Amino acid sequence: MTQQTESALTAEVKAMIGVSGDIVESWGNVDSEYLRRFTQAVMDPDPRYWDEEFAKQSKYGQIITPPIMVSYMASRIPPDQEDAITSAFEGNPMSDGIGDVKRPGELPPVPTNLVRVLNAGNELEIYQYPSIGDKIFFQNKYSDIRERVGRDGKPFLIITRETTFKNQNDAILCITRASTIRR
Amino acid sequence: MTTPLEDLLKLEPEDIWKRNERPTADQMRDKQQIYYEDIEEGAELPKYIYKPTPTHLFRWSAAIENFHRIHYDLDFGLNHDKNPSILVHGSWKQSVVPQFLKDWTSPGGWPWKARFEHRAMLVPGDVLIMWGRVVEKSVKSQMGLIELEIGMKTHDGVESMPGTATVVLPLRDGPPIPYPFIPPTD
Repeated sequence: MTQQTESALTAEVKAMIGVSGDIVESWGNVDSEYLRRFTQAVMDPDPRYWDEEFAKQSKYGQIITPPIMVSYMASRIPPDQEDAITSAFEGNPMSDGIGDVKRPGELPPVPTNLVRVLNAGNELEIYQYPSIGDKIFFQNKYSDIRERVGRDGKPFLIITRETTFKNQNDAILCITRASTIRR
Repeated sequence: MTTPLEDLLKLEPEDIWKRNERPTADQMRDKQQIYYEDIEEGAELPKYIYKPTPTHLFRWSAAIENFHRIHYDLDFGLNHDKNPSILVHGSWKQSVVPQFLKDWTSPGGWPWKARFEHRAMLVPGDVLIMWGRVVEKSVKSQMGLIELEIGMKTHDGVESMPGTATVVLPLRDGPPIPYPFIPPTD
């Protein structure tokens, strides 16, 4: 008799597909100092990021910024909120420094008892380079949840979170999708 | 002419590093447009070579405010998560991709989209090769669409980020690529 494996893609999990978070305004705006630190860290010396005269003559007519630089602004913790790192370590001295840190605009958790999280991959769609001074608004959504069966015969989930980034003019700058495996 | 990926992987890490083709600021200033008609299937993009150190990893963590300890706390990485060392960030690799595509399509093309997986743990000491290869081309809405296979290999040939990308190049006698970018419709 074959043992039936219980599906991880329950009705409650399926119901999370399409669930969106609030539209959140990232703290601060796109500024030249963040741009400098980011481009040095990614090691991109493109003069369109820092040479105003050159940038003015480019197709874009102004300083531009790396397309997904703004995606990391989404994890900024506003300074009027409790110190998230201190809180994370008070709750768990062995915090990994990220999992217990509450971030703005988070989605409700997917109701599954699969707790191990692995990075499955990313998708990027790029429409416009953010400009210096832009305010950034983002919204998360569970765009897809699929079930797969591992080599061990146990089901696991691939959860895709889509985030749309817009500027103050409601123009889409980029869309990112991050997929995680939950085992 | 870029060194073929296959040949690059036969070299010692230090020799791979010498073949780095990441453009300097001045090279980006002088970058000449590649047109759709210039590209043939099978062509390889310039190779971007990286030699991440713990300091590079720390700089990235600080720049994007990523506090995950596996990227800077060696004791935590080794003893808690049982990793081989501190780990190169997936977010850094993800951010190299649009740079790589932007540079190749500049000044008038567009790095439209990419998708990739994260498969291997990368650590300081690895020499990393960001690579891309043209697999298909087509014209839609008077834009040249180039489908690429992309990835980031270690010096010993492990593919850490297999993926695909679609970039847009102008046609020689075509209109400028619209900005903000408007995807083709036909």
